Amino acid sequence: MSSNETMTQGRKRRTNNRLWALTRAGIMESLQFRLGTFVTLFANLIYLVLVYYLWKAIYDSAGTDVVNGMSFNDTMIYLILATALFNFLEMFVVWDMSRAIQSGKIILDLLKPMKYRRYTFWSYSGAHVMQFILSFVPTFIVVMIVTGGAIHIGLNMIWFMISVIFALLVNFNIEMIVATICLYTESTWGINIVKETIVLLLSGASIPLAFFPDSLARIVKYLPFRAVYDTPLSILLQKNGSDEWLGLFSLWGQQIIWIVILSVAGTLFWNHSVKKITVNGG
Amino acid sequence: MVLNSTCNYNILDIEKENNRYFTSKGKNMGNEAIIMKNVCKDFKVLNRHEGLKGSIRDLFSRDYKTISAVKDVTLTVGKGEMIGYLGPNGAGKSTTIKMMTGVLEPTSGEILVNGVVPYQNRTKNCENIGVVFGQRSQLWWSLPLIESFKLLRDIYMVDEKDYQDMLDLYSSLVDIEPILHKPVRQMSLGQRTLSDILAAFLHNPDIVFLDEPTIGLDVSMKSKIRSLIAGLNEQKKTTVILTTHDMGDVDALCKRIIIIDKGMKIYDNDIEKLKSYFGAYRTLKLIFEDGSIEETVIDESKTDIMDVIKQNDRQKKIKDIQLIEISTEQVIKKIYEGGDI
Amino acid sequence: MGDDRILNAGSGGGVSGFSGGVGNGEKGINGANGGSAGTLAEGRRRGLGFYVRIYRKILVQDLKSKMSYRADFIISTIGMIMTNLAGFLTFMILFGRFPSINGWDYHHMLFLYAFSLIALTPVQCFFDNNWNLRFMVQSGDFIKYCFRPVNVFFYFMSEVFDVKGLGQLAFGVGTLIYAWNKIGLGVSVVIILKLIVYLMTASLFMIAIMNAAAATCFWIQGSGYVMVIMFRFKDFAKYPASIFSSVFKFVFTFIIPIAFIAYYPSLVLLQPDSVPLLSWLSPLIGLLFFWLSYKFWMLGVRKYDFTGS
Repeated sequence: MSSNETMTQGRKRRTNNRLWALTRAGIMESLQFRLGTFVTLFANLIYLVLVYYLWKAIYDSAGTDVVNGMSFNDTMIYLILATALFNFLEMFVVWDMSRAIQSGKIILDLLKPMKYRRYTFWSYSGAHVMQFILSFVPTFIVVMIVTGGAIHIGLNMIWFMISVIFALLVNFNIEMIVATICLYTESTWGINIVKETIVLLLSGASIPLAFFPDSLARIVKYLPFRAVYDTPLSILLQKNGSDEWLGLFSLWGQQIIWIVILSVAGTLFWNHSVKKITVNGG
Repeated sequence: MVLNSTCNYNILDIEKENNRYFTSKGKNMGNEAIIMKNVCKDFKVLNRHEGLKGSIRDLFSRDYKTISAVKDVTLTVGKGEMIGYLGPNGAGKSTTIKMMTGVLEPTSGEILVNGVVPYQNRTKNCENIGVVFGQRSQLWWSLPLIESFKLLRDIYMVDEKDYQDMLDLYSSLVDIEPILHKPVRQMSLGQRTLSDILAAFLHNPDIVFLDEPTIGLDVSMKSKIRSLIAGLNEQKKTTVILTTHDMGDVDALCKRIIIIDKGMKIYDNDIEKLKSYFGAYRTLKLIFEDGSIEETVIDESKTDIMDVIKQNDRQKKIKDIQLIEISTEQVIKKIYEGGDI
Repeated sequence: MGDDRILNAGSGGGVSGFSGGVGNGEKGINGANGGSAGTLAEGRRRGLGFYVRIYRKILVQDLKSKMSYRADFIISTIGMIMTNLAGFLTFMILFGRFPSINGWDYHHMLFLYAFSLIALTPVQCFFDNNWNLRFMVQSGDFIKYCFRPVNVFFYFMSEVFDVKGLGQLAFGVGTLIYAWNKIGLGVSVVIILKLIVYLMTASLFMIAIMNAAAATCFWIQGSGYVMVIMFRFKDFAKYPASIFSSVFKFVFTFIIPIAFIAYYPSLVLLQPDSVPLLSWLSPLIGLLFFWLSYKFWMLGVRKYDFTGS
């Protein structure tokens, strides 16, 4: 009995070590892209400058300080953090997988003693950790200092972090489903651009969902994309009723539901498709 | 080995001298296809540190180290020669080829390919060379081979007649019909390699560089490709620089080999001579009456073979005797492993 | 058939665009070694005509083989349409809430938007292979472009012609005509000529930006993000540069020249009475930027170690 237990524990530890090894390799790899890291930071700053001036001009022209319940400060915080989140969540699963498929490397990946989905997720986790520290945290601190207390500091930060992890999972599942399509076509660019535009627009990353006309807002409500950017940011900024337990749980609940739906759909789709390529011999 | 006497001149003098040949006719400009003189190539690489902490340190470090990929290599290749260019992985073979093709600039030293300094005249140098690089196809992936050929004909501005002659020569050497109308992406590895080699010879270049042309191919494809290369070299007097790990290629094609290790040229002479260095070693294989077999490597300068046979015969009755010469493969292996020549 | 004509005309334009640079680079080389040019007969020089001819032949072959991958083509086209619809939707949402930005009303903004869409077409059609550059460089496959006696930049770009950019062109042209009518710009030979010249100018800037962004991969590992973000910067090209403060106006004019992708060139058409000097000069500046980006790209090729094998 006890030996059995230690064995299970040992296996568990081994699994954990293996996952940590993947994360660690990812962190080191992204650090090795040293110049790339600096350039990325710099490019992000310039992007934020563009966002800032555009919305400043928009609010200046609007004549009112608050539009659709969003002040200029709110909008800026929302958009800047959405951009930071976008960088943090950015995955190149679609590109990587299509390259792996076209070069035949996918067969090797499939032979690894780990489920392909899990393997992919954990290989990316290191890059995610790095992106979070290098891109999201600095941006967040800058925004906090510049806006001077516009972001409430309290438990909402923790609730936000939890929501970000959910967002990461939703995003990963969307990526995996889209990447699976690459098994059928070599038009990676086309697939990727469709995914990117849809996610960016309908998740509220390019325009806050608050500005959407009602008809469109109603549709967006029933789509998974808002769970990626809008939900965590709403929790952080204490909007959409997230300052109460009920609202908070319903937002989390929506994210979890999407994770379940998307991962089940994704796994089924993936297994079905992989069978197809194995039959065709890659 | 002794360098050709022209090499003692300043490289610019050679060029001037060769230019006199150039102006008369393209293909006859001297006896050397390639001249390399004291060529070195260094790479600057970041000194990476181990582990997670090291990676963070690397983010800010300016700690570069210099790696010498090629150290002071001097060689000449005559026109129409077929040279086996050998060396273990990472010895600097590819770097040398890249310098000869004008892709990389040597850190120091001088190179002349067909009388041209390759790095300074990349496009001009490319007129007169053909390159096949390992398993990387240089053809248009989605086009049928014949369309790739036509595009290459236009790019190299080959005369229609020369082009047709070349195609005729190809069909006399290999069966190209089945691949001619097939898109490259649908070809097997062997067909792709074959296509790449044909494409490299299409504009009748003076020199063709073949980097691992038979890697990953089956036995029959290998011999097909070897006889194709031999045929083209014979018919067109093309100089061929062959990089390979397959000693079968070398045995079948090359008279002379150059071996490079850790960036330095360690051997440059006839393949037969190389064997004769090791010729003193032979493997004696004795098969006894009871079916047991014994193999011994014998250094003939120290031991007499007959003595060994007699000695063994006294213990057990010998049924058969074989004396096996050392193979090129074994010789090369000995050299790579640090055996003296 | 109609498409074919556009393609051919377009391809000529694209090629002549960089042949200026090509000739320049080659001249330096031949000049240094003029004596040994004897291998090639005089009549076999690779000039502009040669490059146009080769590009056309590759293009025709490429289109032929594309026809055999219909699914691919359809997906890309749908992708392109979706992108444009999403872009348009963003635009509409914004203007649903805010009727004017910085004194620019809906139709003028629509004009800028359409202008930037059309200006994007050449970079998408002729220079799309830039997106593959970093993968090719990383894997070492890039070396194959260095073994042909033609300009490396040309050879690399000629490999991919992207048909789907044409869908965007149609979308842009339609929108432009609509905005043109609403603003009441009128039609004359002069104004159409101006439009064409300044559209080409705007494309040069976009091409230059993407060339430079792609070429960073020769020096920087993991530079894919530079391209992605530069491609996102271009989304801001459709807003008037007057929204920026002076420092950033300078940055977005001379360093990351997105203000030239729509704003400066369109002023020539939209405000004929008070055209800033920069607008008039933009064709020259565009050529300069293109030339610089080409040089930068080629420098990358020369400096790269090709150790990826």
